[in-house]
Amino acid sequence: MPPLAWYALRRVAHGLVTLWFAITITFLLLRLLPGDPATAIASTNMDATMRQELLTKYGLTESLPIQYGKYLVQLVQGNLGTSFSQSEPVSTVLMARLPWTLLLTGSALVVTVAIGIPLGVVAATHAKGALDRIVQVVGVVGQSLFVPSVGIFLLYILGLKLKWFPIGGAHDENVYGIAWYLNVGWHLVLPCASLAMVSLGSYVLILRSTLIESLGEDFCVLARAKGTPERIVVWKHGLRNALLPTTTLLGLQLGFMVGGSVLTETIYAYPGVGRAIYESVIRLDFPVLQGAFVLLAATVVAANMITDLAYGLLDPRVRTA
Amino acid sequence: MSIMLADLETEPVGQQESAAGATWYAFRHNPMGLVALGLMLVLVLVGLAAPLIVHYPSGFTSDVLQSPSSLHWFGTDNLGRDIMAEVVWGTRISMTVGFCASLLAVTFGVLIGMLGAYFPRADTALGMVVDLSLSLPVLPLMILVAALAGPSLGTIILVISFFSWPEVARVVRSQALSVVNLPYMDAARVLGGRHRWILRRHLLPAVAPVITVTVVLTASRAVIAEAGLSFLGMGDPSSWSWGRILYESQQSGSMTSAWWTTLFPSAAILLLVVAATLIAIAYNDARNPRSRED
Repeated sequence: MPPLAWYALRRVAHGLVTLWFAITITFLLLRLLPGDPATAIASTNMDATMRQELLTKYGLTESLPIQYGKYLVQLVQGNLGTSFSQSEPVSTVLMARLPWTLLLTGSALVVTVAIGIPLGVVAATHAKGALDRIVQVVGVVGQSLFVPSVGIFLLYILGLKLKWFPIGGAHDENVYGIAWYLNVGWHLVLPCASLAMVSLGSYVLILRSTLIESLGEDFCVLARAKGTPERIVVWKHGLRNALLPTTTLLGLQLGFMVGGSVLTETIYAYPGVGRAIYESVIRLDFPVLQGAFVLLAATVVAANMITDLAYGLLDPRVRTA
Repeated sequence: MSIMLADLETEPVGQQESAAGATWYAFRHNPMGLVALGLMLVLVLVGLAAPLIVHYPSGFTSDVLQSPSSLHWFGTDNLGRDIMAEVVWGTRISMTVGFCASLLAVTFGVLIGMLGAYFPRADTALGMVVDLSLSLPVLPLMILVAALAGPSLGTIILVISFFSWPEVARVVRSQALSVVNLPYMDAARVLGGRHRWILRRHLLPAVAPVITVTVVLTASRAVIAEAGLSFLGMGDPSSWSWGRILYESQQSGSMTSAWWTTLFPSAAILLLVVAATLIAIAYNDARNPRSRED
């Protein structure tokens, strides 16, 4: 088998194992923890026959391995169970919301990289200088920000005081066509900025140190010795090589960002999966909570898988590793 | 021979100090690290001395949503409670959660990390579990568990530490891996040392510096995690934490009208996390002889 295909196959298998792990861990946690779903859905004070009926309806009377097997089969069929509070399939509830979360985290990721790369380059090329110090301070503070704090302040200043941007929701009613897209973008600015500000710090710091390292390597020294202009050494030789490991870390950071999106969506009443989590917590709607986690985990796994595959295409060294 | 003796005698005093002494010496001469350490100590003191500083914020008063004044330095919330009292008592809870969760996570993470590096056979399985848990979105999982187990301080600490140890294990494992094949470890094995003795007396001291940094960073992450959970209403409703102040401000809608209900708890979180990060950076710099010379 060609190394690229073998590599791709291994990545996909790894992604599937990760997903299986996520699914199993949620299943076990939900069943083994003190407040199990049986008491959550049907209180023990209930009329015995009614309780039995409810438990049977949600498949909570069978033994654990059988429940687990059924759960896996259902998941493969795309069935995430039925919401306790809305009596609707969880997949219907969540699938309508997933695009908004993807839009939010995706755009925050793009903004992080778009601002992070120039900042990282400036810091690395002026290592130990004043500019580098400033970028480092920004990085450390950015890394330490608490998502809701940032969200609340952007909302308060840019949304409420200056009234530049809407303070909640994903779009206004009764807007169609191109105006709708503009409206969606306009609503996206604040949540996306909140999320990007928090992830920017660590990205810049990582890029900075990787780039400093890569600029000191032999191929950069050689490029300089050949008389290549410094600008090209930095952007073409150094940055290109520094971006590879940085991208893997960005993929890992995605899990953290998805967590941040739960908080951001809560503040801005943004109709994504995170907001669904927040609403289900209040109602103790466990199937939705469980489904949301599995869905978000699947998103992160898929994104990491795509990054890794793109990587294998770009960098032949990775394929054999 | 005489030359060598002379060399030994003229060796500067600093060289003969222990490694810990040299680290502390370098740390003391780094203003950034000292300021951060001072800040952290102040926060710890505030947390410890909370009952001496302000009364526990409870009950309602008619001074609703007052902006900061000489009477209420940080203003009051929508039920007329003093925000400064909430922040001070919140320091106590937030830092307790950070400290306890970090202690649990680090204990477990160090154990797993060291075992993984020391027993290659266990390493594959342990490494896999660590890798898998690191690539999952942790906050939604914590929410799920916290919602099930019911909101209480103990639950929060357990949940946070349960999901923080893989990070610790990863760091400790990679440090331990660089040590397990060094000659002194082989020597310990040749001497016929038991695994427990080698792990405790030879491997643990080698990874100890990493542990110091990890404790601080894990604690600050735990504070952030606690704030996140509390902000979503998963906190302990009977005790004040920084996240709960934000949660109440958001729930009551005062976050849109009264900036002081959110500014002060946010500033407290930021201060703590920045201080922790700077301490970790300064400690790493002080420990590394190369950066010490700068």
